[in-house]
Amino acid sequence: MSAVASMPATQEAIRIEHLGKTFPSGVRALDDVSVTVREGEFLVVLGLSGSGKSTLLRCINRLIDPTDGKVFIFGIEITALAGSALRAMRRRIGMIFQQFNLVKRHSVLDNVLSGALGRGHMMRSLFMSFTPDEVAFARACLQRVGLADRAGERADRLSGGQQQRVAISRALMQRPRIILADEPVASLDPALRHSVMRHIEALNREEGMTVICSLHDIDLVKRYASRIVALKAGRLAWEGRPEDLDAATFRAIYGEDAEPASNSSVGEEP
Amino acid sequence: MSTAAPEINPVHKAVLRLQTVLLDTVLIASLLLMGELQWVAFSGQRGSTGLLLSAEEILKVLHYGMLALVAFFIATAWNLFYRDIGCSPGRAWVRGEPPWERDLPWQHTLRGWFLALFIEFSFFTGWLITEVNLATFLTKFSKAWDIVRGLLHPSGAVLDQGLILLVQTVFLAFMATAFAIPIAFLISFLAARNLTRQSLAFRITYTVVRTTMNFVRAVEPLVWALIFISWVGIGPFAGVLALWVASIASLVKLYSESIESIDTGPMDAIAATGASYLQVLRYGVVPQIIPPFLSFTIYRWDINVRMSTIIGFVGGGGIGYILKPRVDLGEWGEVGTLVLLIAVTVWLMDLVSAKIRERIV
Repeated sequence: MSAVASMPATQEAIRIEHLGKTFPSGVRALDDVSVTVREGEFLVVLGLSGSGKSTLLRCINRLIDPTDGKVFIFGIEITALAGSALRAMRRRIGMIFQQFNLVKRHSVLDNVLSGALGRGHMMRSLFMSFTPDEVAFARACLQRVGLADRAGERADRLSGGQQQRVAISRALMQRPRIILADEPVASLDPALRHSVMRHIEALNREEGMTVICSLHDIDLVKRYASRIVALKAGRLAWEGRPEDLDAATFRAIYGEDAEPASNSSVGEEP
Repeated sequence: MSTAAPEINPVHKAVLRLQTVLLDTVLIASLLLMGELQWVAFSGQRGSTGLLLSAEEILKVLHYGMLALVAFFIATAWNLFYRDIGCSPGRAWVRGEPPWERDLPWQHTLRGWFLALFIEFSFFTGWLITEVNLATFLTKFSKAWDIVRGLLHPSGAVLDQGLILLVQTVFLAFMATAFAIPIAFLISFLAARNLTRQSLAFRITYTVVRTTMNFVRAVEPLVWALIFISWVGIGPFAGVLALWVASIASLVKLYSESIESIDTGPMDAIAATGASYLQVLRYGVVPQIIPPFLSFTIYRWDINVRMSTIIGFVGGGGIGYILKPRVDLGEWGEVGTLVLLIAVTVWLMDLVSAKIRERIV
């Protein structure tokens, strides 16, 4: 399907204006961050642990409520929405987490189906009952990440890389236009990182989904990003294209002690 | 750091001082009273009957008011001169240990000696008040031998009736547990701290539920049994109701604590799909809490079987109902039969519940 053409004429997918977040503990996690993401971009967010990357991503779909500023999704201010309007907007934004956040005791298929919760029938969903169409679509989503044969297994029986691919299917199940990926490969074996990143790239290239992804590994950044923003202590520190990211810039973002060596993953979160 | 208050306003300072002195007064007064009690006990004073005063009688003649006043003066003085003689326990509790005492072993501080004496006095006083008597414990065993012999030679006379009432006991426990589960399940979500932070209404509900449940739990099932016996009459139904209420309160505590320890990641993931809050609970919370819930529930059933015996003592049905009169009459052989039946049941319950828990967790 030609996804880009089917969208409204607007070119921008996400517009973040002067976003700020102060936690009740007094920590200022984000300070005056403004970024505009156009449709079809693969935006990578760089920064040390605690620099506000996670907070930024979670403010976009309002898992965290920002204390200042606005976020617009396809021109609609998500920071002004509540209740069912907010949930309808969240449906269009798939999210992938560092810790996969699957329901461990549920089957792989049930985990994927939970991506359809936003549009299904409320009472039916509480009894974990889904329509045949949705089950078929869930199987198709699993097929895309190469896990069709694991549908009936308990989610925690899968390896980390496979679990993250299940999480990608769950996001796909939402039929989203935007994917937020919060350190999607930081908990994975380095050898498996490309296997997950390639699937996220495919959503971006083939389906035209807009991706915002936080990453640590400089090789991955250069390989997948179409644009980069860097955060430092909650503020926007650098913005540019992957080919402009040189060692000096890298050290400016990560501090003097950082080594932009191959396969180095700087300051992974626990 | 947040622990070191940068500036304390005068009102706050006065409140802290008052807390310190009051705490010290209570501690010192307790020490003085325990001291007086020991003094009277060991001085060999005799009461009007000519016998040595019992601990209960001594408790009546202690100089509470005077010693509290003395304690207050000592506490005040201690807190005035704490820089010279060492920090008082109340001050250390309220304001934190002063830095110059932090690394000293307890023998080198006045507070350490005070607390050591306090602990020592507690044991002596406890010994006197609970009338511990090692001599009788070690020499008068023969009187209890009748009971032990009866228990070891169970009589068959009550076996039929005992077995029938044993069935009643097990079902009594089952009904109480089964009907407690759905109610405790629903309430536990409102009693879980991590699920009740989003609005003031939820926070108030949380506090009300927690307080109510703490109160219900503080009342013994035996007391609930007495209440329900006068409500619905003597019999197993009163026992079911008593154990039901007690089970709800205890399951709510266990359930809500396991909700509080869940991984919030799946909740975030489900919320991010655009799911409603009920769906987040259903998919993000419920699957995680099912194993601990099952485990706690079986454990509670186990407790209820044991409790229902005692409930029967006061008229709540079950095997305890026929046990009580036999204890009163000294029919130790029949008591032995009933105790044996209970022991076998509890042992079987233990075995089964351990096996089930092994399987599901």
